[in-house]
Amino acid sequence: MQVVVVTPEKTALDETADSVVLPLFDGSYGILNDHAPMIGRLGFGELKIQSSSRQDRYYVDGGFVQVADNIVSVLTGRAIPVNDIDVKAAETALAEAEKMEAGTAELAELRQRSISQAKAQIKLGRG
Amino acid sequence: MANARALDKRRKSIRNIKKITRTMELIATARFKKAMDRATAASDYTSRISKVVADLANAGLEVSHPLLDAREETNNVKLLVLSANRGLCGGYNGNVIRLAARRLEEIKAENAGVQIEVSGKRGISGFKFRKIDVDKGYLQFEDQPAYEEVEAIADDYLKQYVGGEFDRLDVVYTKFVTSSRQTATIETLLPLGSLDLGEAAEETAKKSDQQSLYELLPSAESILEEVVPTSFKVKLFKCFLDAAVSEQIARMVAMKSATENAEDMIKSLSQTYNRARQSQITGEIMEIIGGVEALES
Repeated sequence: MQVVVVTPEKTALDETADSVVLPLFDGSYGILNDHAPMIGRLGFGELKIQSSSRQDRYYVDGGFVQVADNIVSVLTGRAIPVNDIDVKAAETALAEAEKMEAGTAELAELRQRSISQAKAQIKLGRG
Repeated sequence: MANARALDKRRKSIRNIKKITRTMELIATARFKKAMDRATAASDYTSRISKVVADLANAGLEVSHPLLDAREETNNVKLLVLSANRGLCGGYNGNVIRLAARRLEEIKAENAGVQIEVSGKRGISGFKFRKIDVDKGYLQFEDQPAYEEVEAIADDYLKQYVGGEFDRLDVVYTKFVTSSRQTATIETLLPLGSLDLGEAAEETAKKSDQQSLYELLPSAESILEEVVPTSFKVKLFKCFLDAAVSEQIARMVAMKSATENAEDMIKSLSQTYNRARQSQITGEIMEIIGGVEALES
């Protein structure tokens, strides 16, 4: 099974793996070999890629995943290796997000989005 | 006859300028390659997003989203102009500013309000010169625009667009067609109109003739909700990348012709200098001979 992680700036990762755990919009989702074709919306959280020799962990920032013919393409705005997460920056982002206005439905959604984004980073960064 | 020494001085200074323009050309070439690599790397993401969109359409999904449809009335327009922070790149900045000014007239003719945002020092000073007020300027974009920075701007725009602060977003930038052709263009990014991201989408649409049976998680609507803003962000990012690549090409070409021009000037100056020098020598010899003859007689 081939896993490709692509951000708008570059291809962050392209390797073979045994299993992948994705942070889908509504919960974690595991993928093994010969998975049925699917398109999923990603949330903010941890992407775990398990190959025979090692395990890679990334924080992904929303986006999509497409699975077809044993190729898992992860399209995301950012993919940060878990060890490189800046917890302090995420904490300030969280504090800022909590101060945001939530007057209308759209604004409330935006606020919720920023909060969950920051929370996921903090959780992963602290390990 | 011109003074030989003054000519020589001038030739020397032109030689120095030639060295500078030549170096700038080399720097621009190196930067162009880097920017080009980034643009190519980004196209991978674009083509994959297009594939997802094509697959979604194939799955019989009705594509509709508030960001896609044009609004009935356009009362406020946002104009984003992408120029360079630096000059010495031929007509690059001038073309973009001229096009933006023309669009500004059009918008005013439509009686719509307008907000102008400009990226790049040259664009900002260009508008100042034309006595047009700029609402917001960005200076942080150099030859390698970062997605994160563009995304922050895109998020702001989405927020303002959804909040009704403006009804249309026009981006004026230099589009990269081929490495020998770049043109200043205006593109309307909001409303998006369609999700088509270029030729890649058509290609994949042809390839996946066999009915694709994708499972959509959590739901088709939810995916669409995310696809539309993402493709807007990617399009905006592509504008920035195109502008960066085009700027380097423009500078490369401008500096190349400056170097060649300097060479021509050195050549013609050398000719005049040699002539002046020779006539000076001839004059001196004549004087000496004249002196000798005067002594003899």
